[in-house]
Amino acid sequence: MKALKLFTLFVLFSLVISACQTAGTAETPAAEAAAPAECAADAFGCAVFKPGEVVKIGMGAPMTGGDASYGIDISSGGFIAIDDFGDLNGFKFELVAEDDGGTPEGGAAVANKFASDPAVVAVAGHIYSGATSAAMPIYAKAGIPLLSPSASLPELTTMGSPVFNRIVFTDARQGPPAAEYLYNKLNVRKLAVLHDGGDYGKGLAEAVAAHFAELGGEVVATEALTKGESDYTAVLSAVAAKNPDALYFGGYTAEGAIVVNQMKQTGLEKAIFFGDDGTYGTDFLARTGANGEGAFATISPIPPESPEKEAFDAAYLAKFGKEAGSLSPYTWNGYDATAALIHAVKSVAITGSDGNLYVPRGALVTAVRTLTDYKGVGGTYTCDAVGECNTLPPMFVVVKDGEWVPAP
Amino acid sequence: MNEPSLNKINLKSNRFLKVLRPVLGAVIIIFILYRLNQVLLVQREYGPETWMRLLIAGLVIGGVYALIAIGYTLVYGILFMINFAHGEVMMLGAYSCFFVFEAFKAIHVPSGESFANAYPAVAILIGFIVGMGVSATMGFLLEKIAYRPLRKAPRLVPLIGAIGASIFLQNAAQLLFSPQLRDVANPEVMRRGTGWTVLINGSNVIIPYTGVFTFVLSFLLLAGLYLVVRKTSLGRAMRAVALDKKTAALMGIDVDKTISRTFLISGALAGAAGVMWGLHNGLVYYFVGFIPGIKAFTAAVLGGIGNLPGAMLGGFFLGIIESLGPAALGIDFQLKDVIAFALLIIILIFRPSGLLGEVLAEEKV
Repeated sequence: MKALKLFTLFVLFSLVISACQTAGTAETPAAEAAAPAECAADAFGCAVFKPGEVVKIGMGAPMTGGDASYGIDISSGGFIAIDDFGDLNGFKFELVAEDDGGTPEGGAAVANKFASDPAVVAVAGHIYSGATSAAMPIYAKAGIPLLSPSASLPELTTMGSPVFNRIVFTDARQGPPAAEYLYNKLNVRKLAVLHDGGDYGKGLAEAVAAHFAELGGEVVATEALTKGESDYTAVLSAVAAKNPDALYFGGYTAEGAIVVNQMKQTGLEKAIFFGDDGTYGTDFLARTGANGEGAFATISPIPPESPEKEAFDAAYLAKFGKEAGSLSPYTWNGYDATAALIHAVKSVAITGSDGNLYVPRGALVTAVRTLTDYKGVGGTYTCDAVGECNTLPPMFVVVKDGEWVPAP
Repeated sequence: MNEPSLNKINLKSNRFLKVLRPVLGAVIIIFILYRLNQVLLVQREYGPETWMRLLIAGLVIGGVYALIAIGYTLVYGILFMINFAHGEVMMLGAYSCFFVFEAFKAIHVPSGESFANAYPAVAILIGFIVGMGVSATMGFLLEKIAYRPLRKAPRLVPLIGAIGASIFLQNAAQLLFSPQLRDVANPEVMRRGTGWTVLINGSNVIIPYTGVFTFVLSFLLLAGLYLVVRKTSLGRAMRAVALDKKTAALMGIDVDKTISRTFLISGALAGAAGVMWGLHNGLVYYFVGFIPGIKAFTAAVLGGIGNLPGAMLGGFFLGIIESLGPAALGIDFQLKDVIAFALLIIILIFRPSGLLGEVLAEEKV
């Protein structure tokens, strides 16, 4: 009986192994026969598409939970880019938006999923810095280039990743101007800094605190809150004891909205709430209501009016029934990142003599890193040697009468 | 497991604890006194108004913990199992509260106001009835479907069943109600963040209406439950089943019915905690019961699991420590959970059966 079981196991095991081997080897000889020379020379080989197959662009984004509006909005921009540019000699492009929950674990899981799908050639993402930094090494191994619309943690481009690029400003460009705005424009002298302990929020809060102190202001409190809770009155009361003129919050809407709601009952009713690009959006307005009045945020600049932007905004309204930019400031970036990746894929793709489409992966990584003068709705992007493709300063916005408006 | 080896282990660990306890105790007390001295006398960072605010926050959350902890302790007292799905029962109560208030916001009375604003007391009362009803039903069904078939199984089996039920309920709620965060729309008179204002040390301290309401109601419910367990025939039956199921059955007590009723009561209390959570904190989503559930379990162990006053004490104690601890010791607020759980370990080292465990351990309930 036992021998029989062992034998069955052995047979099953060998079947699985042989299946893996045949699956791996069956394609290669056929592909090699017609594959262009570039594929053999490429470090990561080619992604091969038979006629009728779709070329996939991945996106890892928070599609559920308290920060879902970011993922939904940015992928919406990407879908419009697919509508506009998603065709290459009959090969269709597709945007696959997977939910990474905005967390490092989720980012790594989505990255593994994309890396094991041979049809994914590039990733427009991830959306959050924490998820991105966990996902980057996995893409680097698979030769999949990234072009993030919104991951703004400064360190992401200094870690030497060959595949990561972004078209959003970095927090190094977001933090210090926020500190200057607080000190010079709002005349804040005593600043309290609060963050959610995440890569993005903590990095940003520290950058603001450091620059604010350099300007001559006093940072009276630096506190961290626990993500995912709904009662922050204890930490806010402790901050209130230091009598700050303003509270800078590094983090996202889910926690930022609660902080704003509870500031009034904890003795911070006179302090100005100053958020970041993670606390901007209609979700923040809906959740804070009257409490949100007068809250500031720094955002990626909304593109200046142009025919391209008008066309995009109209397409967004028609497709999703909302004004572009109401959910997050990044929908244009989502569009530009996806469109730029499609542009890069098109520039390296080769149609073989057998009618198949070959996308050399290594060449694509280089093509994205060397993106030059790509004109999108948000501006003209040129990526530098480490993958920074945007050098614009942030824009300041404030809540007035229940709307986000440019701050004076 | 055979008894002698168990005793040996106990003896060994006792000897170990005998050495550990005084050393550890001294270290902890010196550390706490040093930090308290630093914060209260040397730095003097926080005025009385801040301590007042922290205390209010702690009492409110403590009331919610106490209500949930009672559910753990009731079930443990009778079945010797830990109902890990209890936090999810509370989550369903919070969702009920959300849906009831949404409905009352949509219904308008002839004057044009929404029903919730015109008759806030009625709206809140119905919110509690629905929330407690849904949660009690869920507690009842959990016992019927998940735990009763496993009652004769070894004790670890229903425990794993409870964890499975917890995961099932979380995912069911995620699929049914979507994973988005929902804000509970309170009636205008009970708006979150409004309350009585007290001037302390030149600063306005707000005592929120929702907080006072939560605190008072949790106290009333706990007192009511205590009376039920002590004075009614159902309570006597519960205590009898907790002591010895077989003998209780021989005395004419329907054991199954008593256990079912225990789950109904523990579910209703969790439901009330859920509705309070919705009123006071306002944020409802599928995972909302997990952390309070774990904290309440901690509170129940802290007070001595199986002991009703212990669970109440543990709940309030944990809430206050969580809220005051970081400020009093001058530690980062992100570490409040570390303080809470470190406290649990310390208390279990000194009193392995919890704060009130030894005194009333014989009675179970």
